[in-house]
Amino acid sequence: MLRTRRSLRHRATPALLLAPGLLLFLVVIVFSALRTFWISLHAWDGFGPMTWVGLSNYAELWGDPQFWVSLRNNVIWLAVFLLAPPMGLAIALLVNQKIRTMRLAKSLFFMPLVLSTVTVGVIFVWFYDPSYGLLALLFHAFGASPPAVLSSDTWVTFAVVFAALWPQVAFCMILFLAGLNTLDEEIIGAGRVDNARGWQMLRHIVLPQLRQVAFIALAISMIGALRSFDIIAVMTSGGPFGSSTNLAYQMYQESLFSYRFGYGAALATVLFAIMMVFIVWYLLRLLRDERSA
Amino acid sequence: MSDVKLTSVQKYYAAFHALRDIDLTIQPGEFVVMVGPSGCGKSTLLKSIAGLSDITSGRIEIAGRDVTRTDPGERGIAMVFQSYALYPHMSVAQNMGFGLKIMKRPRAEIDAAVRAAAEILRITDVLDKKPGQLSGGQRQRVAIGRAITRRPDVFLFDEPLSNLDAALRTQMRVELATLHKRLGATMIYVTHDQVEAMTMADRIVVLRAGRIEQVGAPLELYRNPVNHFVASFLGAPRMNFFEGRLRDLSAGATLEVPGLPEVTIPALAADHGLRPGNRVTLGLRPEHMRIDGRGVTTPATLRLAEELGRESVLYADAGALRTTGSDTGTESVTLLLGAGTPPPEGSTLQIGFDPADAYLFAEDGRTVTAPKSAP
Amino acid sequence: MYPRQIPETRPVARLAYAACVWIVLAVWLLPVFAIMLTALRTLEDVMAGNYWGWPDRINLWGNLVAVFTQTDMLRYFLNSLIITLPSTALVLILSTMTGYVLARHRFPGATLLFATFIAGNFMPQQVFMIPVRDLMVSLGLYDTFGALIIFHVAFQTGFATLFMRNFIAALPNELFQAARAEGASPGQVLVQIVVPLVRPALAALSILLFTFIWNDYFWAIVLTQTDAVKPVTAGLANLRGEWASSWNVISAATLFVAIPPVVMFFLMQRHFVAGLTMGAVKG
Repeated sequence: MLRTRRSLRHRATPALLLAPGLLLFLVVIVFSALRTFWISLHAWDGFGPMTWVGLSNYAELWGDPQFWVSLRNNVIWLAVFLLAPPMGLAIALLVNQKIRTMRLAKSLFFMPLVLSTVTVGVIFVWFYDPSYGLLALLFHAFGASPPAVLSSDTWVTFAVVFAALWPQVAFCMILFLAGLNTLDEEIIGAGRVDNARGWQMLRHIVLPQLRQVAFIALAISMIGALRSFDIIAVMTSGGPFGSSTNLAYQMYQESLFSYRFGYGAALATVLFAIMMVFIVWYLLRLLRDERSA
Repeated sequence: MSDVKLTSVQKYYAAFHALRDIDLTIQPGEFVVMVGPSGCGKSTLLKSIAGLSDITSGRIEIAGRDVTRTDPGERGIAMVFQSYALYPHMSVAQNMGFGLKIMKRPRAEIDAAVRAAAEILRITDVLDKKPGQLSGGQRQRVAIGRAITRRPDVFLFDEPLSNLDAALRTQMRVELATLHKRLGATMIYVTHDQVEAMTMADRIVVLRAGRIEQVGAPLELYRNPVNHFVASFLGAPRMNFFEGRLRDLSAGATLEVPGLPEVTIPALAADHGLRPGNRVTLGLRPEHMRIDGRGVTTPATLRLAEELGRESVLYADAGALRTTGSDTGTESVTLLLGAGTPPPEGSTLQIGFDPADAYLFAEDGRTVTAPKSAP
Repeated sequence: MYPRQIPETRPVARLAYAACVWIVLAVWLLPVFAIMLTALRTLEDVMAGNYWGWPDRINLWGNLVAVFTQTDMLRYFLNSLIITLPSTALVLILSTMTGYVLARHRFPGATLLFATFIAGNFMPQQVFMIPVRDLMVSLGLYDTFGALIIFHVAFQTGFATLFMRNFIAALPNELFQAARAEGASPGQVLVQIVVPLVRPALAALSILLFTFIWNDYFWAIVLTQTDAVKPVTAGLANLRGEWASSWNVISAATLFVAIPPVVMFFLMQRHFVAGLTMGAVKG
């Protein structure tokens, strides 16, 4: 194909505009992700030379009980985070009324999303405090003795996940509220004329139009569950006795506290692989939607 | 010297052949309208002239300069877009002066050019407004004004009136024609509206599937379409087409058409290349159909009459005589009659025509009747 | 609108509905109220187990004074600003440029690049941790503002590019053709046409970026060590260790940390919501 004769400046401009952002991203993000995999094939204390160990970090993982605890906790995170989209939808439906004060109520429902995870963690540590916390108060009200959820290896992960669920639900709610505002009024009207009500209306008329939003809410929740780190660090530091770690947190600990960077990199690579499944699923759908649009 | 000259222009989008060997010469000051059904390549051709779309091979010259590989801004063209494409964040004056500003012209010159264009288009009072505050017709004027300020060699219009309502469209059509006379500039105008084509063009270019079908003055195209496609594309209501078979070529062309008595078309083109037994298509413009019982006639039932005041459009069922590819999607024959009360619907008519008015098309679509002269 | 709206003609029902919503909201925000109430208390009050009762004495001021005078929170707060503001500005500039090129110029590998930006953006941060930390150490940037700024700019550029690309791609194509036909170069199109038109997107993006970067904790603890560069999130987490049971002070500090994002949110709520949902909801 004949190119139009543009001055060099014209042809070079796009490349020049792209270069700084792209280079930074490639060097810091993409190259780092690849290098993590390379490091995972070595033993390394983070300072000295790296020693090639092949796949032995991965072999060690397989036999490491802490790894299985982390993996189990990741599954719990994923499972509990499945609640975020339906809860977000429920709140969105609740507040999608044109009544005075509803706008303010919506904003306040969003609030947890703006807080930093550290803030949320601190708030919930106080909430779960076994002597003075709100949870303790509730238990006392029913005459039961309050459990110390953050020191119980059975409950600790659930306690942390529920804290993390709070902003996640707010996020899903924002998405669904936006989705509800793009519903096709005529289709809703047609549904009403056909006398669809309540659940039928939601199931057959509304939800099909919210498919795209629901997909994104779900994907973001799953990815968010796998990425969780801050709140574990703030609330439990992985404890008690490593019972609330996940892969991300264990990786951090192995690297920065035990100076086993190779082993940490292997954990990061496993996390990367799991995440890739979700990201590829997300990307394929996104690209498909883009093509069909 | 010509203002725009296209030589063997080809364009592919991947495997899709969008422009096929386009040769066209446009004279300075000419108003050329490119028409064709959607997807025929008329907009692609216009964008190729503008330089907004690269061509695969061929040559484009504007004002005697080869601009095939020149950037759009340096081709000496100005374009008016279908959506107007006004910059929403700029005032009307800034929109109109943007091209000159890019050329780094002095402020005073820009202001003078904007003011002059605004006066021609009667939009001096909205110069400080943003496009969002304007009506559709005003936006259209600003878009044209933006083109005028650049003093281009060639104006390009991409369906500029299609977003206006019917009344405004007529008004702008007249204004554009006036503007063309006043500026004397070369204008290339793309539309799918044949009324715009017929009324505004010095010459019409009919395109189909990336190929030029015919180029000529509006009435010439209307009177002497080179093929079935051009005949069916120009004229509303559309020409009636009847399929038939050629029987004899000894005196004119004698053909048999189901539902009609034997018809003999008097004058054929010299190079008609027909043989007895060939399938042919008989074409009759609705205004050439009559109900006075003269010419070749056949009985028909009047199904519907649309009275338009100045004229009436009749749709009649003529038994075995069936049209193909009509506007209405039915097999009825369309008749266009002058003023006067049409017969009542349901009545029986003798519809007929003078064979001298008829067109004959060969199986490959070529027109095989002799060229008709102006009445 | 769905769900069906309660008609204006039934004011009592509307009032009752609003009341229900506010009750749900109160439960939803219960943990926040707990922190707010606690921030008002004195230490004695907290130790006495007075969780929901009215504080004996409003001690918000005393707690805040403790935060400012006995902790380094003010320093951390300034550090956070020093990290967040330039990072946000740099990302806005870089992503407008990359987003514009991705949206308006076809080139081989564009889809792959696009996918890489999305994937990188969703990756768990731990995947980059070791090499990024190593890189910053070898550049001599470890434990400086520079380390955090460079990382945040690199990472957020991925997300921000997608955001700007989608916004710019949605601008009418003919606008760009018009500018080209008038002779504007790609650079002129960017400055004269794109930048003025993407202002709403930049506003939405800037508040999102501000919130993301301000709230970062992981990189704060991975890339910094000393109090001189620690941002406020890491400072708050430390504070909790040092002031173990002084929940009144911790709560006051928590509110203090939350102020900038919450204020930004309420000032630019429309942009925030638009930003989060942009692209997610295309109808």
